[in-house]
Amino acid sequence: MQTSTTKTVNATCPACGLLCDDVTVSWQGSDAKLDVTVKSGKPCGKTVAFFSRPLNAATPMIAGKPVSLVEAIAYAGKLLQQAQMPLVAGLSTDLAGFRAAYQFAHPTQSNRPQANMMHMNVHSSLRNTKVLQSTGWQTTTLTEVKNRADMIVCIGTDVVHHNPRFFERAVWTDEAMFTDASARKVVYLGGDDLNTAPGVSPKGELPTVLPCATIDLPEVTAALRALLQGKVLKVDAIAGVKVSALTQLIEQLKQAKYAVLIWVAKDLDFPHAELTIQNITESVVILNQQSRAMGLGLGGSDGDTTVNYAHTWLDGLTLGEQDVDAHDLIVWINSFSPDKPMPSVSQPVIAFGHPDTQFTTPPEVFIPVATPGLDAAGTLFRVDSSVVLPLKKVRESTLPTLAEVLLKLEAQLA
Amino acid sequence: MITLLKNAKVIDPAHGKDGVREDIYIRDGRIIAKPSDTEKIQQTIDLNGKIVMAGAIDMHSHIGGGKVNIARMMLPEYQETKRYTEPEAHICTPSCTHHATPSTTDTGMHYIEMGYTAAFEPAILAVNARQAHLEMGDTPMIDKGGYAMLGNDDYFLRLLAGKADQKAINDYVAWTLHATQTIGIKVVNPGGISAFKFNQRRLNLDENNVHYQVTPRQILQSLSRAVHELGIAKPLHVHCNNLGAAGNFQTTLDTMGASDGIPMHLTHIQFHSYGTEGDKKFSSAAAQIAQALNANKHISADVGQILFGQTVTASGDNMMQHLNAKIANPKKSVIMDIECDAGCGVVPFKYRDQNYVNALQWAIGLEIFLSVEDPWRIFLTTDHPNGAPFTSYPHLIRLLMDKSFRNDAFAKLNLDAQAMSNLTSLNREYSLYEIATMTRAAAAKLIGLHDRGHLGVGAAADITVYTDQADKEAMFSKPDYVFKDGELVVRDGKVVKVVWGKTHTTKPAFDVGVEKGLKDYFDKYHTMQLDNFKISNDEIAQDGRNQVINHMPT
Repeated sequence: MQTSTTKTVNATCPACGLLCDDVTVSWQGSDAKLDVTVKSGKPCGKTVAFFSRPLNAATPMIAGKPVSLVEAIAYAGKLLQQAQMPLVAGLSTDLAGFRAAYQFAHPTQSNRPQANMMHMNVHSSLRNTKVLQSTGWQTTTLTEVKNRADMIVCIGTDVVHHNPRFFERAVWTDEAMFTDASARKVVYLGGDDLNTAPGVSPKGELPTVLPCATIDLPEVTAALRALLQGKVLKVDAIAGVKVSALTQLIEQLKQAKYAVLIWVAKDLDFPHAELTIQNITESVVILNQQSRAMGLGLGGSDGDTTVNYAHTWLDGLTLGEQDVDAHDLIVWINSFSPDKPMPSVSQPVIAFGHPDTQFTTPPEVFIPVATPGLDAAGTLFRVDSSVVLPLKKVRESTLPTLAEVLLKLEAQLA
Repeated sequence: MITLLKNAKVIDPAHGKDGVREDIYIRDGRIIAKPSDTEKIQQTIDLNGKIVMAGAIDMHSHIGGGKVNIARMMLPEYQETKRYTEPEAHICTPSCTHHATPSTTDTGMHYIEMGYTAAFEPAILAVNARQAHLEMGDTPMIDKGGYAMLGNDDYFLRLLAGKADQKAINDYVAWTLHATQTIGIKVVNPGGISAFKFNQRRLNLDENNVHYQVTPRQILQSLSRAVHELGIAKPLHVHCNNLGAAGNFQTTLDTMGASDGIPMHLTHIQFHSYGTEGDKKFSSAAAQIAQALNANKHISADVGQILFGQTVTASGDNMMQHLNAKIANPKKSVIMDIECDAGCGVVPFKYRDQNYVNALQWAIGLEIFLSVEDPWRIFLTTDHPNGAPFTSYPHLIRLLMDKSFRNDAFAKLNLDAQAMSNLTSLNREYSLYEIATMTRAAAAKLIGLHDRGHLGVGAAADITVYTDQADKEAMFSKPDYVFKDGELVVRDGKVVKVVWGKTHTTKPAFDVGVEKGLKDYFDKYHTMQLDNFKISNDEIAQDGRNQVINHMPT
């Protein structure tokens, strides 16, 4: 690699579900410090961390010992041939990686058994899926929020923990077609350890915060929905939230030209959280009978939206939960997040992932693969589901893509 | 290699052939003239007088993109229908899975097994075009293409409200075709999807969108003219205002006059042919609609026939689908506003033959089919999956070709609906030639696929071979052979070889200066970069699949 010239790449950041595509990465030489900038404001910590990951030398390993790719694939093939019930899990990858993984899990040519599949974010994704499959919902997308929303209600979340630039990119924007961006009303309803500072308007207007613990949100959102339905509550407060405050919130929602009710499934981590999400989405349905409002589920990362969507069109069904213990071999895929440890399992493991992936116990086979959006081009769905963006190859890398490795493995098994 | 299909009984309306005994020669995926005697023929299939048509083309079927996938996600119970051995009610074909939300693989397989070799996704949200192409890219066996939705996007409405000249509109429309890799332009509930975002609940043809102060008529004029002046074959694809509403036929009739004689295609016109007569204030206006279609030669239409059973309606028309959500069955739905570009509404439906409205909808569709005289301007669709899954086409063809079968089905309907329909007085029975016209020759001509939909020398060898049978449903359910680009891919109604079709697009020239305004708009109002909106050929055509074909405008 040349060491003196400056290289600049316009990139899309896959580090969270927002897929900011206004990122510019530039650097001099291979060792020099990277400079990550975005069009407006500052790049978030997730983006800087993602693009700054060093390209460390990586080699395939068998039980923690370096081997050649050929040896690693040969051994992986042997393990697969012995497996009766493999599980392809993790699935932190992009569209091309998932297409390859799906084909790999559903062999048509060989008599190898079909594999089940499960994404590492399945538990939070399913909270949303259950609502979709029970009542459906009425939702919006980021550009609509940016141009239309005059009221933003974050329920059980500060959003920024997951999507750091949400307020900068969709709320406190310089321009908006149909509303005064700086005059938007922001409300936080419930949640633990919220960072509400990003909800302060550029004019210094403080957001309304109606605090309650996350675990109390089932009750509080049920009360909100009941009040919207016109029911009378015979108490003054629900889990510390005054009914009068909820009534006032409802009046503001009804007056809004375009209210957006936001949740992050990952932040609603308690049993039957889908019912809380449903309280939110059904509140939106009631509002839409007279005025305009929409829901928006944010968060998202590790390609979860992409994997769920692509699985649905390839298979006909969404991707669900699997009982890990019912499987005799785990194929673990984690292309994006080396810092996320693989859950410990008792079965043999074939792992494909970022070269820096950490394991508590070395897997039987580890094959480092390219990270889409950094070492290879790719494609991802944004968390609001309608926008699909190309990921750029940012740096030179000799790492194979997941699809390439799986093809080689497939050939080994044929 | 040369393949010879010997003793074919050719029905090829593009060349006026109706049952002509011929031999067909195929080389390198194309139909060729009879080769010289010195050339070796590697494969000969004696068809012994079997019926040969070009591969059928579905010019309007929701096979890819956000709406369909939301339907799949929302309705996991529909996957159960895959396992049904008994078709639902009396109205499905024995070979119809009646599966409203097939996977991409099943979509391609079911189409080719019925002798269809191409299908066009009619409602691609420009901002969601990449997803539509990804799904179509995973749909094997058939050719694909799509129509991009305009007319509710804020960029266009700002141009129109700002009195931009027609050239600016034309440049934007052409740019959109390039960026989204599509072959036509569609408008859904002109201005209405946008109006819903401003809390308007209905929009009539001459009613203003409250924010932009422009009417659906102005939108239709502007877009139909742009499409016409750019010289693309496919006329503006129009989903009229007031979808599904009693009395909407007047809007439909008025819409026919909105383009001042410039060609337009009115889609799923059955859903737009409703009167308000009778006790139930819901009646058939098929006669008025058919009469107007017969008189207005610049208008074509597809029917959007409903057939009874469980399905799901997926539309860009979130304004009207928000109203329909109240009668969802099962009771769930998705309504979305999307990216200042459009919207969508996904509402499951169960059409029942004992329900007055549903029974009449069924009759209205057939009344239109039988009353429109020119098979070059009326197209066979169920608006898959909105009226019924596309797998019910063989059944629909039999309804058109077999009067006694049709009348027997009619006699089982809701009695009040029977009293409100003149269907049994319509004696017409479609001929094979007319079916071949509407499903092959006319569809290819409408979209501008010059080398498809016919069997002339030089045509792509997309060929379907049927055994003529009295039971037309059986005949069209199970072709003897289907050839895709010259390869034998279906034998006895089952896929014998997996192939990947092509992607059809059109890319008229435009002034690159159009990107200046777009760049400014994207930078200010959008949440993605302009360059990322545009889809490259390489994204679509991968691993030798889904090659992008550009049909030059005239």
